Amino acid sequence: MNVGRWISVAASVMAAGLLARAVPVVAHHSSAEAYDARKKAEAQGTVTKVLLRNPHSFVFIETTDEKGQKIEWQVELVAWSQMFIQGWTKDMLTPGMVVKVVGIPSRAPGSHGITNAQFTRPDGSRIGPQGGREGRGGEPTGP
Amino acid sequence: MRGTISRASLARCFGGAACAALLTVMIGHAPPKLNAQSNPAPSTIPDLAGIWDGTPRARPANNPDVPWAKAGQRLGKPLPDGTIGNENTPPTFPELNERALAYVKVFDEALSPKYDCQPATPPAIEYDPYNTEIVQWPDRVLFRYEKDDQLRTVWMNGRQPTVHDWGIQGFSVGRYEGNALLVETTHFLFDITGFDDYNYIPSSQEKKVNERYWREGNELKATITVEDPLFLKKPASFTTRWLPAPKGYKLQSFECDPETARLSVQYLPKRYK
Repeated sequence: MNVGRWISVAASVMAAGLLARAVPVVAHHSSAEAYDARKKAEAQGTVTKVLLRNPHSFVFIETTDEKGQKIEWQVELVAWSQMFIQGWTKDMLTPGMVVKVVGIPSRAPGSHGITNAQFTRPDGSRIGPQGGREGRGGEPTGP
Repeated sequence: MRGTISRASLARCFGGAACAALLTVMIGHAPPKLNAQSNPAPSTIPDLAGIWDGTPRARPANNPDVPWAKAGQRLGKPLPDGTIGNENTPPTFPELNERALAYVKVFDEALSPKYDCQPATPPAIEYDPYNTEIVQWPDRVLFRYEKDDQLRTVWMNGRQPTVHDWGIQGFSVGRYEGNALLVETTHFLFDITGFDDYNYIPSSQEKKVNERYWREGNELKATITVEDPLFLKKPASFTTRWLPAPKGYKLQSFECDPETARLSVQYLPKRYK
């Protein structure tokens, strides 16, 4: 698989209440201003950079559109300190990996952000839990 | 000889009513120490020390209606104190004055100081979904927040703020009372999202935050009350809880990264040219 090979890119707009319902609530920053949970974004390409940081982590994916133009998708995840708790490890996403990501797109015209993302390998197997800027949360479970 | 004279003088002094009166007057005119509590009874000092889990394991994470909820918003949902909202759950959302409403109306998300790693402050930092460590020393109580690597010092020895003590976390004094730790924090700097960044509510240099911490079994609980006459019509408060952090847990460094903190601002539709 060539680096940067674009298998399929679809930033499709759909009434995706399904995704909106899947968005857990854990965050310091609200994502509603930056991302549109009514839409769905999907991209597949090669990981070029991984920034596991606080307050938010980012994974950069290079794809090529139908006109041959390279597009850099920026996938925003929750803080690394929380990803770590959720079970992420630093070797789960590394530069050179070919991945598919499905999430919700950024609002600003011309931007290529995705959050609340689920990463998968070409064989369809999942990489890490679904998560995004708002992480994975849940209701309190008590002591 | 010297000792003999001193003892004699002392005996005469303490034996005289005039000396007793003088002592009374002297004590009565001693400088007041509003928060000094040199020797609180051990029974009134709650054991708050440890690392406390403020993640969604303990309470719902912060969002536009947590912890500041309007009437009915948390009906049937978990509340910050770990209980479930019902018809009788009072709203916690503050009554904003016209100045605050004007700020909310013109606010631009890109202005949020958080996008440049400016730390959260009370009353938000107490409710961020991270862990907090409390250390109780005789003259101070330390609050170490995993979020933003912040340290707040609550002075228990009567120390009072000076004109040099204005700061983003303010200046905190405290005392123990009724098995609780009471904390009063003033001297905050103006913060455009200093009350709540989800609802774009600012806080002023007149913000005063009162916190009451106590134990209920294994839980740490607190009621946070905020006064800010420049933005709030009346004080607003919420009660929350923490659970003990997993055994052996150590606070993680946050090391906020300015590059990724501001990266997502590009995804915001531009509100102003």
